[in-house]
Amino acid sequence: MAHLLKIEWMKVRRYRAFWIFTILYFASITGINYIGYYTNQLTIENMPMSQVLIGTPYGFPKIWQTVGFMSSWLLYFPGILFIMLLTNEFNFKTHRQNIIDGLERRQFVAVKFVFAFLFSLAATLFNALVALLFGLMTKGSTFSFEGAENILYILIQTFSYLSFAMFLAILFRRSGIAIAVFFLYGLIFEWLLATLINFKFEWDPIGYFLPLQVTDTLLPLPFGTKVLYKGAPEPWVMVIASLIYLGLYIFFALRKFSKDDL
Amino acid sequence: MTILTVNQLHKNYGRIQALKNVSFSVPEGSVFGILGPNGSGKTTLLGTITDIIRPTQGSYLLFGKTPTGDERRKIGTLLETPNFYHYLNAVENLKINAAIKKKGENDIQKVLEIVDLNKRKHSKFSSYSLGMKQRLAIASCLLGDPSVLIFDEPTNGLDPVGIAEIRQLMRNLHEEGKTIIMASHLLDEVEKICTHVAILKSGSLITHGDVAEILSNEDIVEVSCSDNETLLENLKSYPGISNAELTKNSVHAFFPTGTANLSEINQYCFSKGIVLNHLTLRKKSLESRFFELTNN
Repeated sequence: MAHLLKIEWMKVRRYRAFWIFTILYFASITGINYIGYYTNQLTIENMPMSQVLIGTPYGFPKIWQTVGFMSSWLLYFPGILFIMLLTNEFNFKTHRQNIIDGLERRQFVAVKFVFAFLFSLAATLFNALVALLFGLMTKGSTFSFEGAENILYILIQTFSYLSFAMFLAILFRRSGIAIAVFFLYGLIFEWLLATLINFKFEWDPIGYFLPLQVTDTLLPLPFGTKVLYKGAPEPWVMVIASLIYLGLYIFFALRKFSKDDL
Repeated sequence: MTILTVNQLHKNYGRIQALKNVSFSVPEGSVFGILGPNGSGKTTLLGTITDIIRPTQGSYLLFGKTPTGDERRKIGTLLETPNFYHYLNAVENLKINAAIKKKGENDIQKVLEIVDLNKRKHSKFSSYSLGMKQRLAIASCLLGDPSVLIFDEPTNGLDPVGIAEIRQLMRNLHEEGKTIIMASHLLDEVEKICTHVAILKSGSLITHGDVAEILSNEDIVEVSCSDNETLLENLKSYPGISNAELTKNSVHAFFPTGTANLSEINQYCFSKGIVLNHLTLRKKSLESRFFELTNN
């Protein structure tokens, strides 16, 4: 696998879009959390009573969850990046050449998922640092590892979004279609479905088990959770469900790529 | 040793049969041409033996084994189009190819020189002309000095000088004892380079074997006089002739390759009281032979 990762690294090392996306993504993690941090400060200054309702989302121990929730909105960007990394291969037909030159089909797919996992690890680490920073900046908050399990949830969520994106890329092979489906499904249709299922028809918790909702529910909005996530299952249930989805993405991506004509 | 054995290969794309029961084998050291018109299944066949197309039925062996990546690493393959990362230059692309093939990077400089791409090796692939892309693809095939090469339309997109260079390269590779499997729709290319040939027509293997036997040329002598019908009658009894037929303005006399002697024919006709006003030797074109083979 180390050899395969080295080849993957040779592919992205000089790919400018990879670096631009990655740097912008990491900068945006800091940015979106600063927006949240600053808005929260302003709200409390202007309406001190609001603190009763929203608590101190940017202080320990809530900060781990808050950063995870805020950053989760940015996951579409690394998602696009990983869709592109796969559809580039289809466009350049290098997916064929890699196999012709001696890679096994499952190796070609597996290393992409491993690479995405390493990327998710880096993003998670960065999120933890951002959480630490804003936690320490918040007045009256002292460092605590309480709630640090949310860091694990960030990792699961990031890797799930990337895996879902890559699964779409392998399914559709065209970046335009894969990106459109990823965005529209993730931002519109899944929310619509989840809301209808959980609130209109009151079939909760079924709506929380939709592919992306599974990990979104792990990192909910840090206040008003009982109302907004009515009937959401325990985190450990969602962790298991997330891992099942991850297994399915990888399994079907491998299967599709192994069975198709390339 | 047999390099490649193809066993009753079928490939269907929906209702279209791209390959129908194709079987043949490629002996070591041969230059094996796969000849056929556009859409006859050449690339499908080569794609199958390089594992990018899954056959509907049938099997194939490389080096006598059921192939894995390790067998493919021993083969330099150029299939259909040059496939490289557009945003990388020649050297960076070849490094990836070498890594996949588990070959060292020492060869890169050498193969770039062979295909005459050394001056542009630091330019991005996206800036290359079609011919340069093709050269880079051939360079990639040569990485690690493989004993078997697969070329699909290797002279595609090259200028006449490039075509001559690549044909010379293939002759050199053949002389070094390498096995070359090549698909082409260019008949003279196959005739000039190949030792063996397989002819495909709409997915079926029409014939295969030694190139000299299959694409054997006949000599055609074109003659005419004032009375071509009499000429035809007389020529039919000419010793050594294989066939003769009347065409619009002349008579075509067919002889086994290299046996037509124009002065003797002239003398023969004259002795029969026929004065020829036209007498030329025409090699039977490969194209007409090819059309014969592919037109049922």
